[in-house]
Amino acid sequence: MIVRHRWSRLVFGVLLRLYPAEFRARFRRDLEADFTELLAQRGRRAAWSRALHDLAPSLRITHVDAQATAGRRLYTHRPGDSVGASVLFDLRHAVRALARAPGFTAVVVLTLAMGIGANSAMFTLVNAALLRPLGFHEADRLMLIYEAIPARGVDRFGVSPPDYLDLRAMQMSFSAIGAYRVSPFELSGTETSERVAVAQVSGEVFPLLGVNATVGRTLTTNDDGANARVAVISHGLWQRRFASGDVLQQQITLDRQPYLIVGVMPAAFQFPKRGAELNGEPADVFVPLVFNPFERQARGMMYNYSVLARLKPGVSARQANADTSALALRIRDNYPAVVREAMQSLAITAVPLRDDLSGPVRTPLLILLAAVALVLLVACANVANLVLSRAVVRSREIGLRVALGAAQRRLVQMLLAESLLLAALAGGLGLLIGQWVLRTVPLALAASLPAVHDVTLDWRVVAFTFVISAATAGVFGLVPLAAGARRDVHDLLREGTARLTASARQHRVQAVCVVASVALALVLLAGAGLLVRSVNNLLALDTGVRADNVLTMKVALPYAGYNSGPVVRNFLRALHERVSVLPGVRAAVLATDLPVTGEGERRAFTPEHGVDAANAPGVAVTWVYGDYFATYGVPIVRGRTFTPEEQTENRQVAVVSAGVAERFWPGQDPIGRRIKWGLPGSAAPWNEVIGIAGDVIDGPITSTPIIHVYVPYADVPDAALGAPVGGLLRQVTIGAHAETDAAALTSSVRAAVASLDRSLALTDVTTMEDVVREVTAPQRFSAAVMALFAAGALLMAGIGLYGVLAFTVAQRTREMGVRLALGARAGEVLRLVIREGMTLAAVGLVCGLAGAVAAVRLLSAQLFRTEVYDPVTFVAAPLVLALAALLACYVPARRAATVDPIAALRAE
Amino acid sequence: MPPHTPPPLTPAVFHILLALADGPLHGYAIMQAVEESAGAELRMGPGTIYGSLQRMEEAGLVREVPARSDDRRRVFTLLPAGRRALVAESQRLMRLAALVRARRLGIEEA
Repeated sequence: MIVRHRWSRLVFGVLLRLYPAEFRARFRRDLEADFTELLAQRGRRAAWSRALHDLAPSLRITHVDAQATAGRRLYTHRPGDSVGASVLFDLRHAVRALARAPGFTAVVVLTLAMGIGANSAMFTLVNAALLRPLGFHEADRLMLIYEAIPARGVDRFGVSPPDYLDLRAMQMSFSAIGAYRVSPFELSGTETSERVAVAQVSGEVFPLLGVNATVGRTLTTNDDGANARVAVISHGLWQRRFASGDVLQQQITLDRQPYLIVGVMPAAFQFPKRGAELNGEPADVFVPLVFNPFERQARGMMYNYSVLARLKPGVSARQANADTSALALRIRDNYPAVVREAMQSLAITAVPLRDDLSGPVRTPLLILLAAVALVLLVACANVANLVLSRAVVRSREIGLRVALGAAQRRLVQMLLAESLLLAALAGGLGLLIGQWVLRTVPLALAASLPAVHDVTLDWRVVAFTFVISAATAGVFGLVPLAAGARRDVHDLLREGTARLTASARQHRVQAVCVVASVALALVLLAGAGLLVRSVNNLLALDTGVRADNVLTMKVALPYAGYNSGPVVRNFLRALHERVSVLPGVRAAVLATDLPVTGEGERRAFTPEHGVDAANAPGVAVTWVYGDYFATYGVPIVRGRTFTPEEQTENRQVAVVSAGVAERFWPGQDPIGRRIKWGLPGSAAPWNEVIGIAGDVIDGPITSTPIIHVYVPYADVPDAALGAPVGGLLRQVTIGAHAETDAAALTSSVRAAVASLDRSLALTDVTTMEDVVREVTAPQRFSAAVMALFAAGALLMAGIGLYGVLAFTVAQRTREMGVRLALGARAGEVLRLVIREGMTLAAVGLVCGLAGAVAAVRLLSAQLFRTEVYDPVTFVAAPLVLALAALLACYVPARRAATVDPIAALRAE
Repeated sequence: MPPHTPPPLTPAVFHILLALADGPLHGYAIMQAVEESAGAELRMGPGTIYGSLQRMEEAGLVREVPARSDDRRRVFTLLPAGRRALVAESQRLMRLAALVRARRLGIEEA
């Protein structure tokens, strides 16, 4: 029998450990004997059923009802009978206890609220960028498709119209596939005109997204006919422009063409999402995408479209990617032979939409989230210390409770209730602080993080805050318990009468808390130091342009008013004339893009007799009218800039960046060499190089300068300048170099534009200084936030050290008094206390250094021209922390040294 | 609370007291007796019984008596206060039963 039920008996023996020790000691034998008898008489099933049913009520009786109030639980209808009531009792008690110590409560709640608030704020960003649903139907099945020409170093761009049409016809992995492109259009009408982002979408896109219009309808493949001038507008535009009124079948004018409004999207609908590499600006108007015959044949160019696709059921992202990669080979066969040979390779990749949106911000955000978690840990260590100090002061109260019969477990429950209450208060306050921080302080910087635009509170943030608050309560609530759990009641009572001192165990736990917060603070300081150093390197970087006193703005010329080359050229010449003669303007230029932003067009080009010219990568190209180089301060290092004649008549000239000359004509004189657009086989005419401009960093600021070619607008054929599509050439960036204050020129430049065409809308009015700053914004954001975290951790580590020393000194006033009375000098006492504090700090610094060495490796990809083990950082961070620690030690040490021996001894 | 009107007992306590009314018993025997007296309405395992016995002991209702030599299980017996509580509770229940009968609710035993 005994052998038969060996396992049951074994498991039961383990379960018995759930009971309180005293109960177990008394009844274990009986319980085991009863269980064995149950097994023997009724079988395993019945015995276990009985035992398990018995567990919950018996545990409640033995644990919860084991309070000092004997007799409870024997009678019905008594207050405090249930578990809920005992928790309520503890909470009421906690409220009273905390209300009695308002200073302590305030410090703890504020410290934790700061930590929780910072976490809550950071998590809100992470949530917005990485977690929140995109608002499309089954968005995790949506993929974006990119093309690339690996052999020519072009690793990612959009899809060209003919390639998209091929893909749509040949692909097998997607249930639907659609194309879209976002570009600015002029929205004019009764009010002043403005620039709005317009998405041209193929009929498949809205069904792919699976979002319906709130008013009217969305666009479908039925709208893909050549002359469908219909538009769906965003909720925002509907409110702003139409006061949410009845808009269906009303007309809007886009680039001076009438469109019929057929639908309004819901407020939450945002498409395309921000953060995408291509076409990543939410649109206010959606119109059908129509390819003209030229675009349908544009093999090897116009890689400007984003292609969205939905995975077929059962097809994985990986399979789809393999499918598109294989299709790339077949699609390349449709290219004209010349182009095909020149480009050598074509790759088509499919990536999940979510990865495309959040890819670049994921690592920096997660690093900051990890950093802010460390801040909360430091806060916990500090609060644990405070609670511990208070526990020493309260040891008499606790001793009394134990003497009066309070069970250890009830005491634990009581102290935990206090911790939970503190954490709940801090959590609530932290949520408010977090949202306040997001609304005020760093938004200017956060707005530059691509995917972080709608930063709002949702249930995830609330749940996260709740969970970390509870975890916090666990950490700072249990540490003091670990320190005090084994204390003898008699000791507590005896000590409580006259002197209150911490036990050796409590001392050790406090020391561990201080060491931990110093160590964590050092890790954060080192991380912040590295990021700040990296940003300094970024800011010190010479972008190749002169940023100060340059005003820039954009104006786009709609096809309806500017549908031929001469009209556009006349406008350019007139505008340049008027801006150049404005008072305070030194130089002015009209160009197709802004330097440093990397927004310019990339083109294939061929340098004549160049080294490895057949494999030349794409080159950035800017068409200019006016003195580009003087306006933006790009030096002409050799040769000359364009003459007025070359600006107005096509003389087949070009200025190239120094990088072009170095790369293709090393050791030769580049002046007089020739370049042409397209691959070596192209029929484009040759342009003679007349000047070499300095390199400009263009695009991601951490990249190497992109090779660049500058040509006059005169180089563009009339047909292209006045083409109905490909409006890039008619998107003009105005640059004006001011004598003093660039921003002050704004109104006069606006007036100059209006004097030529009142309905043209100006956008992106800014200074080059801001443009350059904007490029470094993500890095500055990371560094600033990390520095803030580090400062908080440094402050808390200092306060923690100060608190512990101040407490020790207060407790040892008598000892200090005796020392001084026996002839110790004040300096010796001072050194004694400082040595104690600095020993803790030193241990913390050593641990922190080890932690930092391990942790900063995570940062390596975020650093620009900065070593991960940057010596300056790794010397400065511990030094700063050591100084802070010294300061924190000095104040209590000073107090110890100035103890009045007589008063200290009399107080005993 | 005045001593002559003790508060209503919980079912568990009542049935344990009832089981001990005929003489001292050990836990397993109490469990069997309670199963008999309460039936399906109250299933108590040994843990609950010992927990309750401990509480009742603290309240002075029962007492542990030395075990007989052959069986080392703990045996409990009723104290005068326990008997009084049992009687009071029984009287209360009988009063309630009488009340129910007087109302002729149609639930009298056959």
